[in-house]
Amino acid sequence: MRHQNTTDHGTTAVNRLAGMRRRVVGSIAGLAGTMFLAGCATNAPQDTFQPKGPNAKIIDDLQKPVFAVAGIIGVFVTVVVIIAVFKFRDKGQPIPHQSHGNPALEITLTIIPALILTVVGVFTFRTVFDLAKTSDTEMIINVTGQQWWWEYDYPVQNEYGITQPIITSGQLVIPAGTKVLLRQTSRDVIHSYWIPALNGKRDAVPGRVHLNRIEADKPGIYAGQCTEFCGLSHANMRMEAVALSKADFAKWVANQLKPYASPAENTLAKEGETVFMNQCIRCHQVNGMKRADGTPVIAAPDENMVSGAAPNLSHLMSRNTFAGATFDLLNKSCREDVWGAESESFGAKYLGGVSEDCLNQTDLRGWLRNAPAMKPMYANPALLTSSGGKYRGMPNLGLTESDIEKLVAYLLTLK
Amino acid sequence: MTTDSHTETDGAAHTSTGLSNNKLGMWLFLGSECLLFGGLISTYMLYRGRVGEGPRPSQVFDIPFTSVSSFVLLMSSLTMVLAVSAAHKGDDRNTYLWTTVTAILGATFVGGQVYEFTAFYNEGMGFTTSLFSSSFYVLTGFHGVHVTVGVIMLMSIVGIMKRSKVPGSKSETVEMIGLYWHFVDVVWIIIFTLIYLIPA
Amino acid sequence: MAIIERSITSTEVFSVATPSSSLGALKRPVATTGWKSWLFTVDHKKLGIMYSAAALFFFIVGGLEAVLIRLQLAAPNGKILNADLYNQMFTMHATTMVFLFVMPMAAGLANYFIPLQIGARDVAFPRINAFSFWAFLFGGLFLNLSWFLGGAADGGWFMYAPNSGPVFSPSHGIDFWVLGLQITGIASLAGAVNLITTVLNMRAPGMKLMRMPIFTWMQLVVQFLLLFAVPVITVALFLLSFQRNFGATFFDVSAGADPLLWQHLFWIFGHPEVYILILPSFGVISEVLPVFSRKPLFGYPFVVFSGAAIGFVGWGVWAHHMFASGLGPVSVAVFSISTMAIAVPTGVKIVNWTMTLWGGKLEFTAAMKFAVGLIVLFTIGGLSGVTHSVAPSDTQQTDTYYIVAHFHYVLFGGAVFGLFSGFYYWWPKVFGKLLNEKLGTWNFWLMVIGMNMTFGPMHILGLQGQPRRMYQWTEARAGEGLFNFGFWNMFASIGSIVLSIGILLFLINIVITARNGKVAPLDPWDARSLEWMTSNPPKEHNFDSIPTISHLDEFFHRKYQEDASGQMVKVKTAEQVMKELEDNADAHIHMPSPSYWPIFLAAGLPVISFGVIYSIPIAIIGGVIVLFGCYGWSIEPSTAPDDDFDPPATTKDVVHVG
Repeated sequence: MRHQNTTDHGTTAVNRLAGMRRRVVGSIAGLAGTMFLAGCATNAPQDTFQPKGPNAKIIDDLQKPVFAVAGIIGVFVTVVVIIAVFKFRDKGQPIPHQSHGNPALEITLTIIPALILTVVGVFTFRTVFDLAKTSDTEMIINVTGQQWWWEYDYPVQNEYGITQPIITSGQLVIPAGTKVLLRQTSRDVIHSYWIPALNGKRDAVPGRVHLNRIEADKPGIYAGQCTEFCGLSHANMRMEAVALSKADFAKWVANQLKPYASPAENTLAKEGETVFMNQCIRCHQVNGMKRADGTPVIAAPDENMVSGAAPNLSHLMSRNTFAGATFDLLNKSCREDVWGAESESFGAKYLGGVSEDCLNQTDLRGWLRNAPAMKPMYANPALLTSSGGKYRGMPNLGLTESDIEKLVAYLLTLK
Repeated sequence: MTTDSHTETDGAAHTSTGLSNNKLGMWLFLGSECLLFGGLISTYMLYRGRVGEGPRPSQVFDIPFTSVSSFVLLMSSLTMVLAVSAAHKGDDRNTYLWTTVTAILGATFVGGQVYEFTAFYNEGMGFTTSLFSSSFYVLTGFHGVHVTVGVIMLMSIVGIMKRSKVPGSKSETVEMIGLYWHFVDVVWIIIFTLIYLIPA
Repeated sequence: MAIIERSITSTEVFSVATPSSSLGALKRPVATTGWKSWLFTVDHKKLGIMYSAAALFFFIVGGLEAVLIRLQLAAPNGKILNADLYNQMFTMHATTMVFLFVMPMAAGLANYFIPLQIGARDVAFPRINAFSFWAFLFGGLFLNLSWFLGGAADGGWFMYAPNSGPVFSPSHGIDFWVLGLQITGIASLAGAVNLITTVLNMRAPGMKLMRMPIFTWMQLVVQFLLLFAVPVITVALFLLSFQRNFGATFFDVSAGADPLLWQHLFWIFGHPEVYILILPSFGVISEVLPVFSRKPLFGYPFVVFSGAAIGFVGWGVWAHHMFASGLGPVSVAVFSISTMAIAVPTGVKIVNWTMTLWGGKLEFTAAMKFAVGLIVLFTIGGLSGVTHSVAPSDTQQTDTYYIVAHFHYVLFGGAVFGLFSGFYYWWPKVFGKLLNEKLGTWNFWLMVIGMNMTFGPMHILGLQGQPRRMYQWTEARAGEGLFNFGFWNMFASIGSIVLSIGILLFLINIVITARNGKVAPLDPWDARSLEWMTSNPPKEHNFDSIPTISHLDEFFHRKYQEDASGQMVKVKTAEQVMKELEDNADAHIHMPSPSYWPIFLAAGLPVISFGVIYSIPIAIIGGVIVLFGCYGWSIEPSTAPDDDFDPPATTKDVVHVG
């Protein structure tokens, strides 16, 4: 009875296995093909196989052969298994010799992968230390993560014209061809800074400073995203690194250091400034802003925010994004113009900033109207007992439409 | 069948290793406990210097006092050995005696710990005062709970033995509690050395 | 609990015992049928079934969570779940699958089959076994209770500090998570002590360690890993709950804490945990492949030692989860190398399985299909794992979908496929009926296709730069052309539906088999190991007489011998082998008796936990329950006294178990 069973299984198995062969071979070919397409066809902004700077290139030089070797071994094992499956299926052959193994073969097949891995290990070892090198750094930027945006703080570096500290957010602006050291930390939970085209990711841990070296070969804009789960709006914590030619970078620095210019009297923007001073200033600093009596206006995010910080909005319109790079300040066509620019013309376009015609009115107004509705944040005052009433993210300020009108006009003056 | 011969089925003679199930199980459990205390000790070592606004270890520790209570606990290991040896000889009277003495010594140690905690608290070192205080209380507290559990086991076993209700072999039960007791003592020696004797 | 009063004929005579003395506050339970016989059982087989049934339930829960996640991510800016719910969903999906499905399912198989495979009649500590099960079940239910009490945990299964602190996660979700895992941890620890003792101490005569079935071996390694890994996470969970519930500051950076402490504690547990999840399945297929290849496992000692090596080296690789966390180049380089080292013993296993097939006489039952599927799928997962061990490359791929793909190939293609192989292989042993093979084939192919469709594209998504744990993805980062995020996310979501249908077929198969499945013959697969040397399902006492072991693959060697020409020929049928055992049957076997205390004691744990969250008096009530349970337990013998059994046995021929 047992024997009969076996032959039944044997004959039906042939058909089934023929199908299996086609499917398995098909899916392997499919997988290999799609992997290829993935590597070069989609031009995704965060593609991990398209290095645009030396650090990412070092990684890429290591990972490409490793992936290739892994792929070859994978195909090899799969093929061997498939051959075994077809060659040795039950065709009524007698019960095989009860061999318990072949130690020589075992040892050989243990040593071969061990050797391959040794080679990989040696290169890995070297690369780890290559990447850790910071001694030839040319520029330093302090990067601070908080829920759910990044702050960039440029300490005074006279050789780049940074004669006063610059604080900005949303977009990290760096000179191309310059070895920039990011000194990362966090004000609340752990975040991770990752611009795949420039380097691998590095966590920003509160209470610690971690070093992360990046360099962009050419001017352009490089996308990234926070990659350590950091709470409710983790998905909306993005970043963009903007590389400018050295000359353009100097222009950018000069613009950031330009003193505050209050809007002209009797303009909508001037009314907007008043709204800003009544509302936004509780958290958002605009450097150089003064009250009518000439006293400086100082924001107090430490009193209102868990992280103790909110984006500094000086020169807001020199950036292309807001709210942790979640939303564009540029409307769609202007954004595509900047992102799609060749590296020669990129700098000029980026330095153009956001004009009234290019402003993404929908998102900016929506944000001013009810920020937590656009980006999930812990901003409901009723639910803030655990944080002593402090916010994580921007609350709904209950602004009137006319306030919003005025604020937009004012914000547009922050060139 | 008597209770004693009953346990022979899971007694040493019938197991593959020659060690009874109960003893092997206890050894495994204690192996696991090593990692528990390892984790707690590591946490303490990491945080012992982080006193914040609270008192420093050297400001609160009363090393002579703790040395005495450590000595008491150490002595209890000796009396535990006597209890186990009496149990092996089937000497019920001495088994009860030494088990009870061990429990009393253990309880004295726990009492000392309660006194010490109270004193620390009064000196301004609460559970949440600093990372040092939290990790100190957690580590020594976990150890104290282990001693307390040991004391409860020792006292229960005396009560149960006196009413002859011990399922299984008496001497093995006493021996198992003994294993646990010695382990807890050894852990204390490590903790005492790391916390009190080696300055942060 | 029952006395087994056997005549020497092969007909079964079960005389039920009625233990009547009251040694605790309560008389011992005596039911042998009905729900009470399950609730108070200490029988390793009943407990194994309950473990697996509960695990299957949680598998469905975790699966539904997964499908919701995939539906949310099918298109950009998904609106099915909000951010808060999504974060809870992926946290609970992982927690459920790891702690409430794979671990207990493996524990269920271990419970059921380890005693059978080593020729024992029960585990070393039957009541602790029952306690482990109930603690796991109550812990799992407690964890999921959070869904109805203000939301589940939302910090990810890795629960990194300080995001898990009270300020950043104000709901009670993480409290339930911490305490629920603490309870299941107690269950795992008790189970580990129990099973290790069982394996080391209760082997049949002649069953040397190197004659043990490989499944038992792999489980032994797993239990040792649990024994040493669980206390580490216990410490971490205690620290976190002291922070959340009692105001300590262990992970509060403003108080000077170091958030990396959590990461180290978590991953020192977490990496061995990976092997805890995968090794049982390695064990299963190392049983299944030889049976359906009709030849022994190739290089049995290599498989054993590589399993042990994986278990050992598994302790030295935890920081490879932290390559991006700023450890410094020396640590990164060292852990990178140690991680590569662990690939070697893993590779050994793949070689051995493949070589087991080679030269065999392969029969492709559903169990075999899943086993072969595991070899290929796990290899893919293993190789993507090797690419992660290259630390610089890992800093590009970690926390992207590439890693999600990697561990799903390892854990779904590996662990889950192995478990399914075990289901089809052992179903007739446990329930006496064969699962439908035709449905099994569909089940297999839909799962293979579904799983490759779901997790295959995630490699690509990850390499294209889609981070994980995001409740929405945006078209701004999706790339151009057809094969961008949009295509692959949709593809993966469709795949998850195919996968779900595959799993649904398995559930349908269970129902069909239960209703009118084919009754299994004594030895449906022509199997090789000891668990098949008893009836289907096994008798309560497992073996009529304990066999003496003289071979690895004992059962096979009793059935087959070499003839003069060196060809293996069948010399005995399974029935004849059984008959030999029956002819030497022990007359009176006193099995461990049922008890109220395991479930009673376990029930105290969630009460304590509930109290810790809401009100200390409730916790005290829980504590009293636990203390009372301990007391009742400690004065109750594991097996009721002989005079409680009816009919009374003559002293000399009683065999006691446990």
